[in-house]
Amino acid sequence: MNDHLLSIVVAAPSLAAFLLFLIPNRLRLLVRLTTLAGAVVSLVAAIQIASLYERTAGTFQLAERYPFVPQLGIDLSFAVDGWGVALLLLTGLITVAGVLASWRLAHREKEFFIILLVLVSGVFGVFVAQDLFIFFLFYEIAVLPMYLLIGIWGSSHAVVEGGPLKYVWRYFDIGGREYAAMKLTLMLLAGSALILVGILAIYRAAGGTTFDLHALAAMHYDRSLQLWAFPLLWIGFGSLAGVFPFHTWSPDGHASAPTAVSMLHAGVLMKLGAFGVMRIGMMLLPEGARVWAPIMGCVAVINIVYGAFSATHQKDLKYIVAYSSVSHMGVVMLGAAALNVDAWNGAVFQMVAHGVMTGLLFALVGLVYERTHTRDLAKMGGLARVMPGVAAFFTIAGLSSLGLPGTAGFVAEFLVFIGAWKSANPWWAVAGVIGAFITAVYVLAAVRRIFWGPINDSHHLELLDANGTEWGALWMLGAAIIVVGFWPRLVTDFLDPTTTAHLHALLNAAGQP
Amino acid sequence: MTAPDVNYLMPELGVALAAVLVFVADLLLPSSRRKLLGPIAALLLLAVFTMTFFVDSSGSDAHGTLFGGAGPLYFQRLFLGAAVIGILGGLEHVERQTHWRQGEYYFLLLCSLLGMMILPGARDLILLLIAFELMGIPLYVLAAFEPGEKAGDVQGKRASEAGLKLFMVGSASTAITLFGLSLVAGLAGGTSMAALHAAPATPLFTIGEMFILAGIAFKLGVAPFHMWVPDTYEGAPGPFVSFLAASPKAAGIAALCALFLCGFGGVSASWQPAVEGLALVTMAVGSLLAIPQHNLRRLLAYSGVAQVGYLLIAFATGTAGGVAMVLFFAVTYVATNAGIFLVAHAVAVDTGDETDAGLKGLAGRSPWLALALLAFLLSLAGIPFVAGFWAKLYVFLIAWQAGLYWLVAAGASLSVVSLFFYLLLARAAYLVEPTNKTPARVAPGLRVAIIACLIAVVGIGLYPAPLLDAAQAAAQSFLIPIH
Repeated sequence: MNDHLLSIVVAAPSLAAFLLFLIPNRLRLLVRLTTLAGAVVSLVAAIQIASLYERTAGTFQLAERYPFVPQLGIDLSFAVDGWGVALLLLTGLITVAGVLASWRLAHREKEFFIILLVLVSGVFGVFVAQDLFIFFLFYEIAVLPMYLLIGIWGSSHAVVEGGPLKYVWRYFDIGGREYAAMKLTLMLLAGSALILVGILAIYRAAGGTTFDLHALAAMHYDRSLQLWAFPLLWIGFGSLAGVFPFHTWSPDGHASAPTAVSMLHAGVLMKLGAFGVMRIGMMLLPEGARVWAPIMGCVAVINIVYGAFSATHQKDLKYIVAYSSVSHMGVVMLGAAALNVDAWNGAVFQMVAHGVMTGLLFALVGLVYERTHTRDLAKMGGLARVMPGVAAFFTIAGLSSLGLPGTAGFVAEFLVFIGAWKSANPWWAVAGVIGAFITAVYVLAAVRRIFWGPINDSHHLELLDANGTEWGALWMLGAAIIVVGFWPRLVTDFLDPTTTAHLHALLNAAGQP
Repeated sequence: MTAPDVNYLMPELGVALAAVLVFVADLLLPSSRRKLLGPIAALLLLAVFTMTFFVDSSGSDAHGTLFGGAGPLYFQRLFLGAAVIGILGGLEHVERQTHWRQGEYYFLLLCSLLGMMILPGARDLILLLIAFELMGIPLYVLAAFEPGEKAGDVQGKRASEAGLKLFMVGSASTAITLFGLSLVAGLAGGTSMAALHAAPATPLFTIGEMFILAGIAFKLGVAPFHMWVPDTYEGAPGPFVSFLAASPKAAGIAALCALFLCGFGGVSASWQPAVEGLALVTMAVGSLLAIPQHNLRRLLAYSGVAQVGYLLIAFATGTAGGVAMVLFFAVTYVATNAGIFLVAHAVAVDTGDETDAGLKGLAGRSPWLALALLAFLLSLAGIPFVAGFWAKLYVFLIAWQAGLYWLVAAGASLSVVSLFFYLLLARAAYLVEPTNKTPARVAPGLRVAIIACLIAVVGIGLYPAPLLDAAQAAAQSFLIPIH
């Protein structure tokens, strides 16, 4: 059993999806329970992996390998390092919470859960893949189902655009779910095309016999190859991580997506992008990474500040959370670009922290939207009186988002900014802190507008607080924010040895600057 | 010819025998039993298909006119499988539309198949040309195979137009090919591949090659020789299009392999740039012109053009790996295109709507048909875990190894473009709510054919290694040096 834990994590959601195929539509509870079972099995297996993982070593463990396409050197090989363990736990947590949050979905729900579970399998696969090709394969599986998920179950024009350009917006259906789905899919697939070219270049330069990540990492590539292939991987993966200016799919896509999909996409999928940049781009092409790092860092700073500024001007609650994701993913990329242990620990920590808090925020926005039928900030107010639980959790997630000590967000941003300060460009830290300050402005403003003040709409007096399974989702994620905030070693113990080993390898290969 | 050599000819003889049997059965069966002709033909072909596994695949003597071995066998199995699917998919349509002439339909189809069976093994220009025409001429008739006697029958008129267009383009391209063949045969002093292989690459020889390439490009629907493709696909009978769009293209590829690798393999530098250019133009034209199409078959026709472009990338490498990828791609191409045209036919029959609007709400009405459509669309777009992904990926991989970087970059970008219109079809099927919930009626034969294609596409997508093995073994047949 323990020998195949990684396979179980990856396969369980797909297996559940397959079982769903066989269950008739009318057994609605069984459909949901099967979905939940698939998600819970993965989460339990992820916890088991975390307990078996020897943290102090910081190496790849629990390896499994099955031949897949031996002619081209492609093996189905899995293993985890400390980063992988942390991200597996995150994915398991968000998935279970996402299923719980969409328990009451009542439109073609079987199809929804099938596609969702396939996507989750893809995400798990990326975090454990030790074969470049398998990595890419799972990456695609995680990205593609979004088209259907947003296109069918998404929401359109929750907040109608005014202003002089409204006819243009209407003509192109900007803000519509089909527009969002198409934009997201095409942009991310264009990114995949860049990644594919980068991967082929690496494969060819390594002799064209293996896709094994460790073998590929052990090779030395031409400086010129590294210099042109690195940006391909950076922009390709980065487009999923919301790297400016390739982030524009994110606000539209996340705002239009149904709750569980927003949670998963912003909470986990964007991390695939950042993970890809670090694990594939930087680790395989260290020299390219070192040369491009200053530009990466500057772009990340733009992400942080620009994303936060954009968030302050949104009227649609979901767009605020979506732009805050763009801003927070900038923190991850900034950590990656700073190229030191603190910053890298912070970057991965931020992946986890942002995953949990954005997952929670999107779950809450979904709850509020489902009850008030509006996401327009101007129409809300005083909701804390009728839904105190939602208000409390929203405040926790918001405070983590602005980096209040005692929450997960603080630890992550603190580590990244310390790392940035120690790097060759200390001004990055200053810009990052400015971004965190703007975050405080829009988060606190949003909390005040939604939950405090007078109730604007008399219908809102009859609204109910979260119920049943929704509490489950909120408690899981809310507790994770606080627990990790007060006891960061729970996560950093996994990250630190791995980060040290990876960074050591990278700097050795790249030569000290 | 000695006894062991006949062993190599078994599949061809089997198909010829099947054609004769169907022809005779047509004469003997009473008209009420004519609907059995299709199943009989399909069963006979399945028997031949089984027989191919008893043929020695180690390879015959390479000096002869006809070469038997792993490569031709690989193609023959593909053609046989595709023909069975084509026959099954058309059973009901042929019976309903042309009840009295069912025997002719299947006889012609088997004759065309016989031509295809001979093509990949032909190692002599004359045999190659005869096989090519044996494949092509029945197709002209089949494209027009609709009852058109009644005045005002639009379908019949369109089918006649489709057949005529195919005939005109087909004869013109044959003439062009023949002219090219006459040049190269004259210069080489013989019609065998060995003679061609030994011929020096003079400018006139290269001109001959270009004429041949253009002639075959017509048949393959390679841009800028693709104009007939959408018109013919739009007008010809639905199930026949699923056959026409798949097997003859693969056979054209087989002819390209036989001629250009065995015959002109020694002077590959003279034709490779031309093939690279054609690949680029074909991918671009197919992907871009598909976007404005609303007739489903026209759209799929352009998408098929684009697919052939990807195939040509691998062919342009001219290496053993490249040929293996061509062979691999050919199988996924046939399975995917046959499948998607059958789905389009099923939907058109059910709704009476041949535009993409007919797909609207398909997922709500017939989830399995919609799922098949989605699988084929994903395969065409090159998305993981369906066959097309591996095909496209292997092509890019091998092209990158051969140094065709710009073609890979162009192909990858155009894949994203083509994803747009594939997604639009998926959108119609999945995102639009159905107006009525009655499941689409799909005839049993058609259903079996679609399921067979679906199994092939998903099966290859999940585990491509065995097919890749077979393709790599088969590729050697086209690269055996001939002296």
